[in-house]
Amino acid sequence: MKAIRPGIKLIRTLVRDRIYYPGRLVVDTATMVARCGVLLLLYSYVFRLNGGTISNTTFTIAAWSMFFYFSFSILRLRDLSQAIMRDVQSGNVEVLLNKPMSYLAYRMWWQLGAGLYQFGLISVLGALVLAFSIGLPATMSAAVFLPTMIAVVGLGILLSLSLYAVVGLLAFWVEDITPIYWIVDKAVMLLGGSYLPVALFPAFMYKIALWSPFGASQFITHTVYPTWAGEWPLKLGIQAMWVVLCAGLATLLFLSAKQKVSVNGG
Amino acid sequence: MDKNSIIVSSLSKRFSFPVKDPSAGWLRNIFLPRTKEVKAVDDITFSVQAGERVAFIGPNGAGKSTTIKMLTGILFPTSGKASVLGLDPSKERKQLAYKIGTVFGQRSQLFPNLPLTDSLEFFGVMYDLSAKEVKTRIAELVRTFELADFIHQPVRKLSLGQRMRAEIAASLIHRPEIIFLDEPTIGLDVVAKKSLRDLLLKINKEEKTTIFLTSHDVGDIESLCERTIIINHGVLVKDLPTRELARSFVRQKNIDVTPETAFEEFPELPPGMHYVLRDRNKLTIAVDINSITVQEALRRILDIFKVDDIDVYDTELETIIRNIYESHSTRN
Repeated sequence: MKAIRPGIKLIRTLVRDRIYYPGRLVVDTATMVARCGVLLLLYSYVFRLNGGTISNTTFTIAAWSMFFYFSFSILRLRDLSQAIMRDVQSGNVEVLLNKPMSYLAYRMWWQLGAGLYQFGLISVLGALVLAFSIGLPATMSAAVFLPTMIAVVGLGILLSLSLYAVVGLLAFWVEDITPIYWIVDKAVMLLGGSYLPVALFPAFMYKIALWSPFGASQFITHTVYPTWAGEWPLKLGIQAMWVVLCAGLATLLFLSAKQKVSVNGG
Repeated sequence: MDKNSIIVSSLSKRFSFPVKDPSAGWLRNIFLPRTKEVKAVDDITFSVQAGERVAFIGPNGAGKSTTIKMLTGILFPTSGKASVLGLDPSKERKQLAYKIGTVFGQRSQLFPNLPLTDSLEFFGVMYDLSAKEVKTRIAELVRTFELADFIHQPVRKLSLGQRMRAEIAASLIHRPEIIFLDEPTIGLDVVAKKSLRDLLLKINKEEKTTIFLTSHDVGDIESLCERTIIINHGVLVKDLPTRELARSFVRQKNIDVTPETAFEEFPELPPGMHYVLRDRNKLTIAVDINSITVQEALRRILDIFKVDDIDVYDTELETIIRNIYESHSTRN
């Protein structure tokens, strides 16, 4: 409890700040409507052309799957890489390194806190809009849906933070991580199902999405598919495995990075 | 002042980094680059007693910030030992963090987009203070550092002087035994500098906080620090009470001479004396007291000029420090 108290304080502070200054909420809502809304309109047209079903997937399921992807992306956990790179490049990392809280933990809590309010509000509002406009797929009323979705979101957050922390920490060795970040981020987008719902992936690509950390970080998009009831133990297991591996790698990199710190004026 | 807060023994830090070799191919420069090694700190030894106010000074690149960063656990020494409040900064960084405060003049530890009060509250929680302790301590700091007028403003909207006061207040939230300040007055106007120095003196007096400060500002050293350690090229050059700095290193006196009537000629001066200022209405003559006594210099001046008024004064501390830096650079 003592270890997470600063993290909770940070989240509360940032959530309060976002409530007082709703500019970010407006921007994120507009982004969600623009990106997710336009894609869903296009997909509804494509599904209608195919008689309402593609590859045994209905538009309702595909729409909810994509909505979950975009909703999760509002947390902006990907910004962790850039935040670490900025700290390293500016040398500001030094003022955070001699605090009693781990720098990496501080940055992760910060990232979570910065997006939590928008995530909560837009997800609830978006879900209501979607529920009233296209309805709920039967898979979402299954008993297993809600508990496993909470677990998959929790593990997805941990995996995303660890994955983007690994990318960000590379800034201690290569000054500009933007190309690496770009590759990882696009892999997450593609394999997570932001362009094309995962259910419509060709078999080989589905396997990559299933077994890579990029796809695993977005397993929330799988929760509405009929196969979820039988696959959730495997998928939660894969997520947990990647969390352990990526968090371990991030920790190792951070320990090594601390030895490498070299900032202006020292 | 009966115990050592900081003990540094043969502390060294070397940085090595790749340098591009124009004669080698790009592949070799990527995979087998030539490395250059820089000795940032070279075998320094000193100690600081609890409650002392120490200026740790030197020209740019002397090793001041590197030393502070090793003492605060940010950088790891290449060799030698450092003990701060009985802890090894490189191995016990977290425990040490609870006992020290740090302020880096050119960087901010505060949340730029949030009100100052949020940063102070967060630091309180981070340093394991209870909610009641956080509230009480913030009230104390607001009173001492006069933060009330801007505590609810986002940090990015504060003036530099206000921000530096806030930075120091934040670093004192957990009542550290030592505060390390790396150029805390950089960029401040004279009023803000004085205000900050007064506050640091107050903290040192009331809370017995040891002050370890680097600065290029002689005012910080003169008005704040009772002891000065000079470092250059990573090597400790001098370690002595600040008041003795001038006394020990004054090789030069300045003499201002006001004429009875305007000066028309500026004849050559005897060895050991030279003009610093040549004006029809005022002369300033520098006297090397190793070559000629002040008494003899005055006699010579009175022989040469018809004088209305004369003023003899020591060289400013800034010049003395510059001379020390330069003499050490020359020796190297």
